[in-house]
Amino acid sequence: MIGLWLAGQVRWHKGRLAGTVAGIALTVAMLAVLGVFLDQSTMTMTRRAIAGVPVDWQFQLAPGSSTPALAAAIGKAAKVAVLHIAGYADVDGLEAHSGGTVQTTGAGKVLGLDAGYARDFPGQFRLLLGSLDGALIAQQTAANLHVGVGDIVTIHRPGLASALVRIDGVVDLPNADSLFQAVGVPPGAAPQAPPDNVILLPLASWHRLFDPQAAVHPDSVRTQLHVGLVHAGLPSDPSVALMTVQGAARNLAARSAGSGVLADNLAARLDAVRSDALYAKVLFLFLGAPGVLMAALLTLAVAAAGGSHRRRDQALLRVRGASRKQIMTLAAAEAGCVGIVGGMLGLALAVLAVRALFGLASSVITPAGAAALLAGLLLAQVALLLPAWRDARDRTVVAARLAIGPERPVLWQRIGLDGMLLMLSAVVFWQSWSSGYQVVLAPEGTPATSVEYQAFLAPVLLWLGAGLLTIRLCRFGLVRGRAYLARCLRPIAGALAGVVAASIGRQHRRLTQGVALIALAFAFATSTAVFNTTYHAQARVDAALTNGADVTVTGTLRAPASARLAALAAMPGVNAAQAMQHRLAYVGNDLQDLYGIDAGRIGEATLTSNAYFQGGDASATLARLAQTPDGILVSEETVADFQLQPGDRLTLRLQRAGDGQYHPVSFRFIGVVREFPTAPHDSFLVANAAYVARQTGAGGAEIVLLRTGSAPAQVAEQARKVVQDMPGVKVSDIGQVQQLIGSSLVAVDLGGLTRLQLVFAVLLVAGATGLILALGLADRRRAFAVLTALGAKPRQLAAFLWSEALLLFAVGTSVGIAAGFGLAWMLVKLLTGVFDPPPEVLDVPWAYLVLLIGVALVSVALAVLTALRETDVPAVQRMREL
Amino acid sequence: MADALIEARDVGRTYLQGGSPVAAVRSATFRLQEGDRVALIGRSGSGKTTLLHLMAGLDRPSSGAIRWPALGGADTLLPAKIALVFQVPSLLDPLTVAENVALPLILSGAGGDVRQAVLHALATFALEELADKLPEELSGGQVQRVAMARAIVGRPSLILADEPTGQLDRATGRALLDALLGHLAGSATALVLATHDPAVAERMAATWQLRDGVLATGSPP
Ligand SMILES: Nc1ncnc2c1ncn2[C@@H]1O[C@H](COP(=O)(O)OP(=O)(O)OP(=O)(O)O)[C@@H](O)[C@H]1O
Ligand SMILES: [Mg+2]
Repeated sequence: MIGLWLAGQVRWHKGRLAGTVAGIALTVAMLAVLGVFLDQSTMTMTRRAIAGVPVDWQFQLAPGSSTPALAAAIGKAAKVAVLHIAGYADVDGLEAHSGGTVQTTGAGKVLGLDAGYARDFPGQFRLLLGSLDGALIAQQTAANLHVGVGDIVTIHRPGLASALVRIDGVVDLPNADSLFQAVGVPPGAAPQAPPDNVILLPLASWHRLFDPQAAVHPDSVRTQLHVGLVHAGLPSDPSVALMTVQGAARNLAARSAGSGVLADNLAARLDAVRSDALYAKVLFLFLGAPGVLMAALLTLAVAAAGGSHRRRDQALLRVRGASRKQIMTLAAAEAGCVGIVGGMLGLALAVLAVRALFGLASSVITPAGAAALLAGLLLAQVALLLPAWRDARDRTVVAARLAIGPERPVLWQRIGLDGMLLMLSAVVFWQSWSSGYQVVLAPEGTPATSVEYQAFLAPVLLWLGAGLLTIRLCRFGLVRGRAYLARCLRPIAGALAGVVAASIGRQHRRLTQGVALIALAFAFATSTAVFNTTYHAQARVDAALTNGADVTVTGTLRAPASARLAALAAMPGVNAAQAMQHRLAYVGNDLQDLYGIDAGRIGEATLTSNAYFQGGDASATLARLAQTPDGILVSEETVADFQLQPGDRLTLRLQRAGDGQYHPVSFRFIGVVREFPTAPHDSFLVANAAYVARQTGAGGAEIVLLRTGSAPAQVAEQARKVVQDMPGVKVSDIGQVQQLIGSSLVAVDLGGLTRLQLVFAVLLVAGATGLILALGLADRRRAFAVLTALGAKPRQLAAFLWSEALLLFAVGTSVGIAAGFGLAWMLVKLLTGVFDPPPEVLDVPWAYLVLLIGVALVSVALAVLTALRETDVPAVQRMREL
Repeated sequence: MADALIEARDVGRTYLQGGSPVAAVRSATFRLQEGDRVALIGRSGSGKTTLLHLMAGLDRPSSGAIRWPALGGADTLLPAKIALVFQVPSLLDPLTVAENVALPLILSGAGGDVRQAVLHALATFALEELADKLPEELSGGQVQRVAMARAIVGRPSLILADEPTGQLDRATGRALLDALLGHLAGSATALVLATHDPAVAERMAATWQLRDGVLATGSPP
């Protein structure tokens, strides 16, 4: 009996069944892909974060401990990839003679590194001059001492005679913070600034110089083991990976039993990335969930559309003596089949999508995939069983006549649920606004992270509330505004406008549902697209801020990139080139980066966002700087430290070209700068290049910023050729940097997900508009048969169809797009924490919106034309089918 | 003599049923004049509905020729010149009774006072009270009366009614027929009425009989 019934259903309700199966397939596919994407993106984030850690563990030996024994203990506690010994010695100072003057520094550190250290921990130094073999000196120390490769530096050892070393190379220590961290200090204690004066020696030489010092001053010399762990087996979720790494660290603590302390850089990094990973998860869920919901709603709409047929079938079954239970069993069997077919199809679709979008042969047979399938089965049951159950319960064949005409407002309308949802949304949003949009909380040092999921309730509630409000307003408009509606429809429907308006008004329920579905689909598509463009623009701003410009050429004081400014500016693909000085200046005792710019023209080559400056007006701030030759922009900390008022004088010490010494230079404080291209995130200064050049006697600019018209990577390639003979000059492009920003969420490539979302949104919009109309029009077959039999001309039938279709389209689209913008705005606001600096305005993907409207129009047209073709069937034939 | 409303010669209509042809109407020859009152009788399946549809120009003959000398081409007949009352319920559900009755006027783009015409038609069948009701709120008999009102509202030259009283009890059917004939009394409008009911047929001036698609008009053409 079940088989017969199913065969009958397939034969008679092909369209509806296929639609339901397709809807379920889409829902399942969307869910499964979302799951895969979530897994993948956390994995990428974790991997990237881990890869950015130069040394995973720094184990500091207690005096007198055995190095080989502890190395063995580390090997047992964790899977070790590389292990090196590093000696640390505190020295009283360094000294150098150059050009008849003597330069001395304060206290410093001398490191001893064993062979292969530089090879195994490439992130620890960057060679600027000379070679990595032999004695190396940190860049700033070299600048302080005026030494270069081949020069001699004197090391003042405490309690011992001074020692001499010949410098073989100058290096930058990008990772100085963790290299020189105070191991064993509890987290949260005041962080130590890395030393300004650093020399690095081969381990043997270091032992020769400092073993004697260890004998005299044991606490001034320490040994650390620097460990790189095997990362291959680490869990992809940062929280789980963190626990694994911390477990290994505890194991080591037990094994080493007091003979040393561990600085767990890897754990610290994982800890930091947890919040970003959670953000990402929430974000992806948030972007994906409305799509899944839409697909489910569409499925329900399709399934419910076969109502009249189903009721007739049921009535027939009952006439033949089937019990309600039997009817429900049949419906459940049907739903089960539809669910399984749809679910399998969905998983297959997901595999294809994953392959196409992420280039992954990733399996969807994951817990997420299984959950998606389950959701599909459930959806099928709800979609098919629920209406059947409702019909079986309260509809007799007679009562199954058309449900139109005046009805009581439903419960939610009477209690004003839409208004309540919107209010609640506003309240929740206001709450997260007042807490500064701190959506993700990951207290440092604890493995627990918390997401303020309720903050995301605001857009969800907005979505629902707006949907319900649309329904209410539509209903009101269609019922009360019939005269107005008729006037609006007159251009399309002509004399029939009144009749059409009356007909539309009395079927407001079906139409309103259609409008709401179309509006929701549009809201989903618009918000995704707007958010996506804003996000991408912001990722670019982020990268531009870090890199400085599309392409940045960075030289040194001695080899300024501005020497090749003309050649760089003349390269093909370069739209603008601007030189920028990068010097160091003492603000009191604090050494800060100073950027000398041409304030009037810097914006030609790089982005100067309003968010960079206090007061939020980039052009006004830069104009003020241009008008004040000795003007300077400083950071908020500096303003606080020196109690600065606008117009105050601020004296810095700058290095003069003539004698290489730092001399006082007076500036006028004119504003606060928060971020600036290439500038570090902490304190820095921005002044006029011309003034800095005059005061220091050095006119060159270390950096050249290029704005490109073609691919930045290609321009960077040419630029490298232009400066290849200049020692120490580096070229970087924005693309490289985008890949490098490891833990920042903006760096996470949303590309795959958003591409999927955008395609999906187009499908949904097309599906929603086309389907709603097609279903509605199919229900109208009888009406058209009657009209034709009464003598209506094809033109008049078309007027009927177009009026309804265009009304649905116009209202649904405009409401949807407006709601979409609202949602996108809310999302961007909620994710303020992700954006640094936060976006000023929403970026609007006009092309996509036009495409979306175009697709919707095409599917409206297709639906209407298909329905019109139906009317070609002779009316007599139709009348007989009634 | 004025032009005939319909002139049919050897009109036949054949349907394909599961691949084999079924002749619903065979070689019918007849002529219909202004003011005619014709009862079309015949058993179920004898071809009454088919013939009415051919008369209305809604269906085309498979053989023979049918013309409307006084009315025009087949495409111009509905709804202004000929009105049909269908065998099955044929009101538009979302429209009120008054709106349903007004439809032929709106579709034909007739000028004049639509409201007045509708009120008059409703009054003819005592439907004034129901003007603002929706079809689903009506009884079967009321639905048939509305369909009648809709047929007369445009003052057509010919009314074709397909078993308008078929679903009604005898008294109700008679009342409906009284109202219709009363309205048409003395007017030039012709009426063809398909029915099984001899009592109904008796009230018409002529009776045409259909037997398995063969029409007997009772008078030579
Ligand atoms: N569209 C069609 N396709 C196939 N056969 C048809 C079609 N329309 C009518 N017929 C056949 O033509 C014949 C005449 O049908 P018609 O509806 O004209 O009869 P009728 O006299 O009106 O019957 P009733 O009194 O039951 O209404 C029947 O045998 C019917 O099966
Ligand atoms: Mg019939």
